This record gives sequence, C-alpha cells and structure tokens, in this order.
Amino acid sequence: MSYEVTVEPTGDIIEVEEGQTILDAALRQGVWIPFACGHGTCATCKVQVLEGEGDLGNASPFALMDVEREEGKVLACCCTPESDMVIEADIDVDDDFIGYPIQDFIGTVTEIKDLSPTIKGILFTLDKGIEFQAGQYINLNIPGVEGSRAFSIANKPSDSQILELHVRQVPNGAGTTYLHEQLQVGDTLDISGPYGQFFVRKSDEQGAIFIAGGSGLSSPQSMILDMLEEQDGRPITLFQGARNVSELYNKDIFEKLAQEFDNFTYIPALNAPEESDDWQGFTGFVHEAAIEHFDGRFEGNKAYLCGPPLMIDAAITALMQGRLFERDIHMERFVTAADGEKEQNKSALFKRI
Amino acid sequence: MAAKKLNIKDKYRLLTRDLDWDFSYEDRKDAFPYEEFEGLKITDWDKWEDPFRLTMDTYWKYQAEKEKKLYAIFDAFSQNDGHLNVSDPRYVNAIKLFLTGVSPLEYQAYQGFAHVGRQCGGVGARVACQMQALDELRHVQTQIHAMSHYNKFFDGLQEFSHQHDRVWYLSVPKSFFLDARSAGPFEFMVAIGFSFEYVLTNLLFVPFMSGAAHNGDMATVTFGFSAQSDEARHMTLGLEVIKFFLEQHEDNLPIVQKWIDKWFWRGTRLLSIVAMMMDYMLPNKVMSWKEAWEVYFEDAGGSLFKDLARYGIRMPKYSEVIEKEKEHVSHQAWWTFYTHGHATGFHTFIPSDEELDWLSEKYPDTFDKYYRPLWEMAKEKEAKGERFYTTGLPQLCQTCQIPMLFTEMDNPNQNSMRDTVYKGERYHFCSDGCCDIFEEEPEKYVQSWLPVHQIFQGNCGGPEMTDILSEYYKINVGADNMDMKGSPDEERWNKWKGTA
Ligand code: FES
Ligand SMILES: [Fe+2]
Ligand SMILES: [Fe+2]
Ligand SMILES: [Zn+2]
Repeated sequence: MSYEVTVEPTGDIIEVEEGQTILDAALRQGVWIPFACGHGTCATCKVQVLEGEGDLGNASPFALMDVEREEGKVLACCCTPESDMVIEADIDVDDDFIGYPIQDFIGTVTEIKDLSPTIKGILFTLDKGIEFQAGQYINLNIPGVEGSRAFSIANKPSDSQILELHVRQVPNGAGTTYLHEQLQVGDTLDISGPYGQFFVRKSDEQGAIFIAGGSGLSSPQSMILDMLEEQDGRPITLFQGARNVSELYNKDIFEKLAQEFDNFTYIPALNAPEESDDWQGFTGFVHEAAIEHFDGRFEGNKAYLCGPPLMIDAAITALMQGRLFERDIHMERFVTAADGEKEQNKSALFKRI
Repeated sequence: MAAKKLNIKDKYRLLTRDLDWDFSYEDRKDAFPYEEFEGLKITDWDKWEDPFRLTMDTYWKYQAEKEKKLYAIFDAFSQNDGHLNVSDPRYVNAIKLFLTGVSPLEYQAYQGFAHVGRQCGGVGARVACQMQALDELRHVQTQIHAMSHYNKFFDGLQEFSHQHDRVWYLSVPKSFFLDARSAGPFEFMVAIGFSFEYVLTNLLFVPFMSGAAHNGDMATVTFGFSAQSDEARHMTLGLEVIKFFLEQHEDNLPIVQKWIDKWFWRGTRLLSIVAMMMDYMLPNKVMSWKEAWEVYFEDAGGSLFKDLARYGIRMPKYSEVIEKEKEHVSHQAWWTFYTHGHATGFHTFIPSDEELDWLSEKYPDTFDKYYRPLWEMAKEKEAKGERFYTTGLPQLCQTCQIPMLFTEMDNPNQNSMRDTVYKGERYHFCSDGCCDIFEEEPEKYVQSWLPVHQIFQGNCGGPEMTDILSEYYKINVGADNMDMKGSPDEERWNKWKGTA
C-alpha cells in the first residue's frame, strides 16, 4: 500500500510507502524538501498540509508547536501519510517554470523504431494536444506493470499532438521489457503529464551546455529543437555519450543542426568504440569530452544533464571543479530498477544534486 | 495553487537585502576592516543564499513559545523534586562537567557570532549570525536555569563560571572557543559555524540528551530539545558558509581546507570529554562513544565530505588517526580524571562490574587488553582502602591544553608526545595534529594560558595544592572533589532514598 503525495508549489508527485516518511520518499525520488536533523527536532522540514492526513510521528514539541499542529503543519521527516496528501513546502518555484496543468491522455502507438541495439524510439499520437516545457516527462501506464513509468519527452513542444519517447531496455525491468518486446503499433496506453523541473531556464542568458548519456538524449533533444526553433541565439553545446557507434543514435540529426546553426555545437563521445567503428571523434566518457572542449572552465554557462546516475555524478564533479555550481546545474536522473536501492546517506550540502 | 502572496522568501529579502545601505561618504573597507584580513576572497555577497528564512517577528514568536514551554517544565521539575528521579547520583557528575565545561561555550558562541555578524559585509550573513547569537544566549541561560535545580541538592555546581576561567581541564573547552573567537571572522565561521555546529554538535547534543533521557533527567532532556530546535538553523548556516566561501573564489579552497583540518582536529580533541561522559559517567548507557562516533562522524560526516569533494575539499587531515582514537580516548581520558580526582570539581569513580562488562563488550579489541587491567588494579587498591590519586601535575599540550594523556594509537602503551622549538623555546604537544596547528601560527599559541604552567609560575595562589584548589579554583575541597564513594553527594542521596 502506498500513498501519493503532491508537493506544492512545484506540483511534484511522490509515492510514499506505508510507514515511510514524506521526507524519505521525497529525497529518494529526487524531490528536495529542506531538512537538517532528519528526526523531528529541528523543524527545518516543516510543511503545511493542504489536503489529506498523516501521522505526526515523533515530532518534538519544540520543533512543532501546538498552534502549528492545529494549523495542519507537519514535519516531513516524521510524518507518515494516512491518505493521499497535498503539502506545501518552503521551496522556490523557478521563474521559468510555466506549470502546465497535468492531464490524462490516451496515446496510440504509430511507430516503433530501433534507435540503437538497446534503445527503441516509440511514437504516439495523442487524443488531444499536450502542453509541456521541453525537458519534462510523462508517466506511462504499461499493461501488467504496477504503477507507472516515467519517460522524458523527446519531441519539441510545438509538435503537441505527438509524443516521442526513447526507451532503453533495462535488464529485469518489467516496464521497458514490455515496451521492447510486446508493444505493437496500434496499441493504446494511458499517459499523464507533463511532470518535472527539468527545462531550459530561458530567462537566464548564459550559454547552454547539454550532457546526455544513453536514452537520456531524449530531454536534451526536445530542449535543443525547441530553442533552435525559437531562434535562440546563445551558444548551445550538446555532448552525447555512448559506448560505441551503434549506440550513438540520432547523430545525423545533430550533425545536421550543427551545420545549420552557428550557435550550436555537437560533440559525441564514445567510451568503448569498436574497432570496426573507425571512430575519429572523442574517445572517453562524456564528461571528459566536456572538460576537454571547455578547457575545464564552465563559468558563464548553465548545464543540463540527463542520463544514468553515474554519468550525472561524474558530470557534476567535472562541472563543479570547473567552477559551475548548483544554481547553474540542472538535471534529470534516469534511475532504473537496475540501479538498485542504494542506501545513500545524503548530506544536506546540496539541494538538488 | 494559491494566489501569490508575499512569500517567506520575499519577506526575508525585505528584512535583509533591502535593509542594507551603501557607503556614500565612508570607505566600505573601514566599515568592514576584517573582510580581507584572512586572505579569503569575497567577490559578490549577493550570491549568498539565505540558509533559512526567518523574519524577526516570527523569530520572537517562536522563541517566546519555546521558552514558555521550557520553563513550565523546569517549574514542574523542581516542584516534583525531579532530581530524585535520576538513575543514580553518579549521573549528576555529568551535569557538573557539562555546566562548567560546555554551557559557558554557549556564551562564547553568542559573543563570537555577535562579533562576526558585525564583520560580514553581506547583509544576509549578518542577519543569520545575529539570530544565531541570540539563540546561543538563550541556550546558555536555559542551561543554567535547568541545572540550577541540581545546584540546590548537589555539590560542585556553585562556581561554574568562576571555574570555567581557571580550572586545569576547563581550559580545554575555554581555549578552544577563544582560539576561534580571536581568529578572523571567516575562520570563526568555519570553526564554529561549520566544523563544530554542523558536524560535531550532534556528537555533543544527541548522546547527551539521550543520556539524560536514559537517566531520568527530564530538565536536561527538555532544554536539549529546545536547543535542538534552533540548532538546525546553525547547521544550515554552517553549510552555507562553506559553500559560499568555496564558490566565491578558487583561491579560497586551500585556506578553507586548512581551517577544516585545524578545526576538526581541535574539535575531536575537545570531544574527548564527551567520550568519557558517555562511556563512564552515564550510569544508564545509551550507546558507546565508539558507536556514536561511527554514526555521527563517520557516516554523517562521511557523506558530507563525499559531497564536499566536488569542491575539491578532502577529508580532514589526520582522519586516519581520528578513526583509531574512537577505541581509546574515552578510556584514557576517564583514567586521567580518576587518577586526578582530588583536583576535579566533580566526583570520579571506578566503573561497576556491570559497566566493566559493558565496556568489554563495546570495545572488544581494546578494553580487555589495555584498560580493564587498570580498573581491576584500582578496584583491588580501593578494596584495601588505598584509593590512589596522582600527586604530580600533568604536562599540558600547548595547543589543545589537554594533559599529555593520549597514547600513540598504534601502541597504546606509549604516550604520544611531540615537540618543536620556536624562538629558542621548546613547546610540547599531544599529537602531530596539535603540533602542526602550532607551527602554522606559533605567535598565537605561545600565548596559551596553560593552567599547570600558571600554577608553577605562582599565578594561581598556593603553594599548596589544596590552597590552589580551594582559593583559586573555588573548589569546595572534601565535598566537590574526590571519589564518589564516601562523598557528601552520596550520603545525602542515601538519606533521601532511605538507604542509609
Ligand atoms: S529535518 Fe529536522 S525536524 Fe525534520
Ligand atoms: Fe547553542
Ligand atoms: Fe548552536
Ligand atoms: Zn593537543
């Protein structure tokens, strides 16, 4: 049994297991709520309940005063939901966040193509147009799979009647295995969205660096197509990481864009090219390509990272050592069943990374 | 979603940034003379992200409510003779050490943050420091009030403030804070705001509070909770400080690293008194010092340093030594106090047989091998009526001021001693860590007020030890000091409990 908790003002939705605290679920699902002690004594994680109910848990009377209890405040680190809830936390909404309403859609599969040996591109037409910010994701209900699965939208927002998803088959992943092995053209699936805080901060004028790994190319693809379509003139650089040439999908699209637009640079990086690939480009990890290209200095940019956790981790370190900090780093981590439940003791040093 | 009202962020902005002013006819440098003093480069105070957003009116409202609650509990505690509920009268000795050694540090923290807040050019940092200063003032006051009840019934609490400035072992915590306060403002913030508040404070408060709970001391538990509710703000301020300095300029990295190295070493040395409180002074144990260290330093601190590594910060220097020390420090410290128990303002005692077994279990690699034999010997002597006290005065470390009681960690039979010569004088240290700190800033540490040196120089009265203890330290000799067994504390307790 689990409950759905909506975290306002961003509208992020988290699944909270029976007996799990809101804070624990939020942090594990990449939603940041301010916290410090983690055990009900400091009040840093205080949030307002707007709807639903939860058990207050072990909240200290000094951290959560009587009046506050009456006002419906709870400590996220102690509170375990007893129903679906809506809470409001002291988190900033990005000025560039448009907050398109989340809606339900029915998608009909129109095409399934092999992008690489492990990644399929799935195209849907929707029963109605979807408004979203490039970079955001949708939730897909997959037959026979409990809960929903998140996939970033790879098409640009102006193509609002369709949905393009890039799906990598995850070993032992029930959802992606179904999509790879059973899904047929003509099938319909329930879809909801858009979700997420991953989008281009267009009001910020700095250059944009995209670092993508594996099927994490989806969001950056949407974001870049969107920016170029809008004639955004800032320098845009895409680093795409893959194992070898066969995994490096959609390369043609970006090579063409790079020729067409002066402000767009495309740098693919292969970490294990095959002999037969006859690879002339950068060999190494994608963050290393970024270090080389920018000479280790990233100031004056905003970075958007999308891909598997290890790649993101390496990229953050590279960026920070090149003096680009949290406020200028945005990311979408593709955490899959294959990454396992790593017990990570997170310090409160960073909010989002 | 609700319509946009003035949110907390905007309100806080009005309180901070918008209350700042420009210097039109005075030089800004004269207003903030210490800002460049330490070589740290601050290029843009606007990048300071307010670690918490609390407006002044909300602050007062919350604090007033906390006080109301707290004092209601204190009142109930004294009306119900709460002191009779503690697990064992030996427990009160932990309270005595806390009041003489730790509570005055809250006052120093108040002084430090008030001063540093004034020196920060950035208004966000200024307001945050000011609030922390007020919190710390509240902490010292509530601690004194919490413990004043014990003062009516037990010896050793009556002169805490006088003793804090003089007594040999209390110079350890006192000089720690004086060292931080006499540094530049940014070092103070890394020392106290970051190293102490963020990483080490949990080791002080959490075990001590749960220790109080396990030993029936509701007054202390309650002030602990009340203080903890402020502590989060202090911790987030500490974190923002470190991030801010590291992001402002790359030249700041080596400076900040040096401060972290210094203050983690200083901090772990200071915590050796907490270690012995946990392992020896709490009759009902919570967890061993070693366990607390693993949870709060190794796990929590480890994940912090993993994150800090992104900035290029590495684990504090001598972390390997620190890791080994968790097996030894509490035992070595309490043995030293036990053998100097005639010169302490609280009672010392041999652990009970049960406690010895607990220690053996918690420290399987070291206790039976090195420390249990000492206590067995002490037990034998005591049984023969020969409870012994060391006659000599210990040599103190020039940096941390702790008696040279610690051993080499790889050879617990060998005392750890280091020395260095500066301007023709030889100075002595307990460790490489302390020696390094001295060598970085010798002019500072040659001025250390070392209690034992002061005694020998005749600055503490005397010449007899008892004169120094009673006249200079204001220890009530024969009541405050010596063994728990046979003390007036014990006698009164037995009378109250009808067991005498
Ligand atoms: S994080 Fe401290 S009370 Fe929740
Ligand atoms: Fe405090
Ligand atoms: Fe504090
Ligand atoms: Zn020392």
